[in-house]
Amino acid sequence: MFFYYLDLAWRSIKKTPFLSLLMVLAISIGIGITITTLNIYQMASINPAGERSSKLFEVRLWSQGLDTWSRLNQQITYQDGFNLRKSPVPVRQTPMFMTGFAVQTDDPEFTPVLENARVTDRDFFGLFSVPFLYGGAWDKQVDSEPAYQVVISEELNKQVFAGENSVGNTLYLNRKPYQVVGVTKTWNPSPKYYDVNNGAFNDAEKIFVPYSLAPTEEYQSWGNNQSWRNEPMDTYAQRLASEAHWNQYWVELDNPEQIRAYEEWLANYIEQQKLLGRFEMPDAKAEIADVAQWLKVNKVVPEDNKILVGLSALFLIVCLVNMLGLLLAKFLKRAPEIGVRRAIGASQSQIFSQHMVEVGLIGFCGGVLGLLWAWGSLSLLSAHFELEDALTQLGYSMWVLAPSIAIIAALLAGIYPAWRICSTNPSVHLKSQ
Amino acid sequence: MLSMKNISKVFKTDLVETHALRDFNLEVAEGEFVAVTGPSGSGKTTFLNIAGLLEGFTHGDYFLDGVNISNLSDNKSAAIRNEKIGFIFQGFNLIPDLNLAENVEVPLRYRGFNAKERKRRVQKALEQVGLAARMKHLPSQLSGGQQQRVAIARALAGEPRFLLADEPTGNLDSMMARQVMELLEEINKAGTTIIMVTHDAELARRAQRNIQIVDGQVCDFTMYQSGERTIEKPHLVTGSQEPSNQDKVAS
Amino acid sequence: MLQIKPILSTLMRNKSGPILLLIQIILSVSIVANASFIISERIDLMSRDSGLAESEVFDFRVYNFNPETDYGAQNGRDMTTLRNLPGVIGATSTSMTPLSGGGWMSVFTLGESEETAKETEGAAIYYGDEQMLKTLGVKLIAGRNFFEEEILQGSPNQANLGIVSQAFAKATWGDEPAVGQVFYAADFGQEPVEIIGVVETLQGAWVNNSSLENSVILNVELAFPFTKFLVRAEEGTLAQLKEAIPAALHRDNRERVVSGFKLISEHRKSAYRNHELMATVLSMMVILLLLITSLGLAGMVMFNIERRTKQIGTRRALGAKKRDIISFFLVENYIICLAGGVIGALVAVQLGQQLMSLYSLPQLELIYPLVTVAGLIVLTTIAVIVPARKAARISPAIATRSV
Repeated sequence: MFFYYLDLAWRSIKKTPFLSLLMVLAISIGIGITITTLNIYQMASINPAGERSSKLFEVRLWSQGLDTWSRLNQQITYQDGFNLRKSPVPVRQTPMFMTGFAVQTDDPEFTPVLENARVTDRDFFGLFSVPFLYGGAWDKQVDSEPAYQVVISEELNKQVFAGENSVGNTLYLNRKPYQVVGVTKTWNPSPKYYDVNNGAFNDAEKIFVPYSLAPTEEYQSWGNNQSWRNEPMDTYAQRLASEAHWNQYWVELDNPEQIRAYEEWLANYIEQQKLLGRFEMPDAKAEIADVAQWLKVNKVVPEDNKILVGLSALFLIVCLVNMLGLLLAKFLKRAPEIGVRRAIGASQSQIFSQHMVEVGLIGFCGGVLGLLWAWGSLSLLSAHFELEDALTQLGYSMWVLAPSIAIIAALLAGIYPAWRICSTNPSVHLKSQ
Repeated sequence: MLSMKNISKVFKTDLVETHALRDFNLEVAEGEFVAVTGPSGSGKTTFLNIAGLLEGFTHGDYFLDGVNISNLSDNKSAAIRNEKIGFIFQGFNLIPDLNLAENVEVPLRYRGFNAKERKRRVQKALEQVGLAARMKHLPSQLSGGQQQRVAIARALAGEPRFLLADEPTGNLDSMMARQVMELLEEINKAGTTIIMVTHDAELARRAQRNIQIVDGQVCDFTMYQSGERTIEKPHLVTGSQEPSNQDKVAS
Repeated sequence: MLQIKPILSTLMRNKSGPILLLIQIILSVSIVANASFIISERIDLMSRDSGLAESEVFDFRVYNFNPETDYGAQNGRDMTTLRNLPGVIGATSTSMTPLSGGGWMSVFTLGESEETAKETEGAAIYYGDEQMLKTLGVKLIAGRNFFEEEILQGSPNQANLGIVSQAFAKATWGDEPAVGQVFYAADFGQEPVEIIGVVETLQGAWVNNSSLENSVILNVELAFPFTKFLVRAEEGTLAQLKEAIPAALHRDNRERVVSGFKLISEHRKSAYRNHELMATVLSMMVILLLLITSLGLAGMVMFNIERRTKQIGTRRALGAKKRDIISFFLVENYIICLAGGVIGALVAVQLGQQLMSLYSLPQLELIYPLVTVAGLIVLTTIAVIVPARKAARISPAIATRSV
């Protein structure tokens, strides 16, 4: 019967081409806008950590003084970053901050380029599951006994070493030679969840150097630097000793016991630091947030996106109400034919089904067309506004979502008109004179 | 086969109660050709709708093949309309964008027959009315008389217990009307029961039995056999044996 | 004659069509009112004057990677090089670029003792020299510029003179003249900075920050390996200077990377990009919504006309003029529009409240729903008049034909 209804539906649509086109158009525009805003929203709220998301935690400490910042800051001080490494609890952990170098090679013709870099411990790569193309991270020893070693990305490797296995080669960062120990495969989580404060959708860094080199090499902080009090920061040593926040800290905790143990360790740490005169707030605390919470805390999905999704849902409702009216008009116009069908034995539910199939077909067409609108508008937006590609590519789930929402919405709109037409008294329309 | 006993239908509005049918009684045996006549406003249409299960009624009982089919649920009524009753309308009521075969097939679809069975029945029905050759044509390509014959084919395709015809020749000129009536007579002779509602007395005479409705009640009861008219005393009469009823004999 | 009562009873009898239209109008008014409000707020935001000659000023950075460089001296030489390049109107080294989303910001302290200590609002900090005002193209409205000899070199903590933006002056000292006032860059009483001048407008780097209009220029030339330069040149010369500047700087010293040439007008576009996107998408929504509602209305009117053809013919036969038929449909339309408009305006305000409490949007001004309803009335009039005029042409002879 379904295919019979489909055939009837198609004939009916052909019979009133203009009206049918209007209905498909109305619903497709509603779907188009909804899918556009949903796509941007969804892409912005992706959690790229996937299944590891609940095991990775960012650490925040309330180390600011009295009457200064009134909430936990997203970064911590160098002191704390240095000290937290002593905890035996986490499976993996790393402090980090962003810097940059002028990069040169042995080749004297090579023009120096300026590149961002990340200063971390070796656990960074395991923690964030960074895949390697050649070699690997530096040894654990390097985290306590600094060595001039560097991990570079596939992209930089192509640019500087023509893409070959460059493990063992020398790379000059600010004129200092470093030995390449590993080349990572292209790795660009979006959003860049491990450091959302310095560009949530920027590309990942191409250079990684050991955190233990920071005091010696005096790496400048290229990320945000936040101070809650005035301190002299003329020398790098002063910066390292200051209470300014410019580091980030991530840990991996695999089960609830570890989480509890780590929270206890953090509480103890704060007590110790209080004895040294830091952490002046009486209820100074530490908080750890897993990736999902972290993204939320940092409002990675801009509020604007949420507003747009909400408004376009309302828009879709208007389109549906519109369609409802048009359907009502169309179905009631066809009452005489339906009267005949009822007289020769169609039950109410059969007439209802027939019309719901027609409505569903219109919905499906509207969904497909809406997908096209969405693709078009996303391309336009992306081109005109230079949005990150990540946000404007039409996600595969949208291909399924668009027709599904369209069909469900159309069916909802169609319930009342279909019910009206199937419950009219057939005898009224038989004597159509 | 078909039996209506003491059927009453009352329409109530805020101010007025209208009795469209009062104590209406009818017995139809298998194979009969019955014409129900009466002036406009007499209740013919109400009778038709009730007989065809398009409407319910207020009092009384309606039996078909011994089963009480009074005031059934919509689904059950639809099923009976589909399987047991064959409708023929004054305005043909063919669906314009379906061809003849597709039109005849409509009730069969709702019955749930598979494609092979549907095809067989459609073929048989269209052959019975002599239009099998034009199966793929659209109704708009046919004359009025031919369209009505297709409608008859549609009514026959489900092999119903009886045909219910509403002014079957009302929209046809005299020649086409004659053709259709001849077809109906043929079908009746082949064994199909036919109940025909008409206001045309000439037409009614071609049926075996005439029943007249006036003001919602059966009034006259005339039998025609081989074209001759015999009047029998009305032995199925309404509640009160008022002399005035018996005087109301229409000619 | 308006004949509202019979029109109303006609609407009541066949409720489904008018109710659907009513719902559409209510939703449309609420969406359009709020969307237009947001759009106009964003446009206001984006049209704020930064105070600079945006199409003439660009920034770039230099990274001296030789750790033995005397950064201060190099900086001085670089500025001389730049200022002598053809086409350059002014150049200065600084700590940050306006509207770029990155830079320095701080609060300062007023008062000399613990009892009188008070914090100022946050302000962007531009470290620079006496050429900064010329380079940025900002207008001095009180006091004076730095003298060349007043510029210090090296540590930012030594700053002792400042030029502030008018907004910061007002926020800090109200109607009192800012020139001559003192604030403290560290705690109370420490690192005093004397205000010597006020500029009309100078914005900071973060466009979504409420302190965007607060800026302070301090008299220190920084000496770091990483230096940012601001250059003002005649419009259109950027492309050529993009080549000329690195060449000139490398001639002086090869051991640095020169990169990142971007006009302030481009920084502005990047900074406001999200707002522009929001305004654009919302505008699209508004236009499409109005289109769909109008089409829906026109459709319903046409359907009604078809349904009532005999009635219209009869009315005409009984003496209705063409004008009466048209006004019949228009009045029907206005009844629904006004009812929908009033309810819609209330819903719009409610929606505005929701948006305000859930997200950081300002409160919807009442004028927006009102203008929306007015606009809707105009739009629906057009949508109705076209089919209504067709209806008016229905011949009275139809009344006598039986269908």
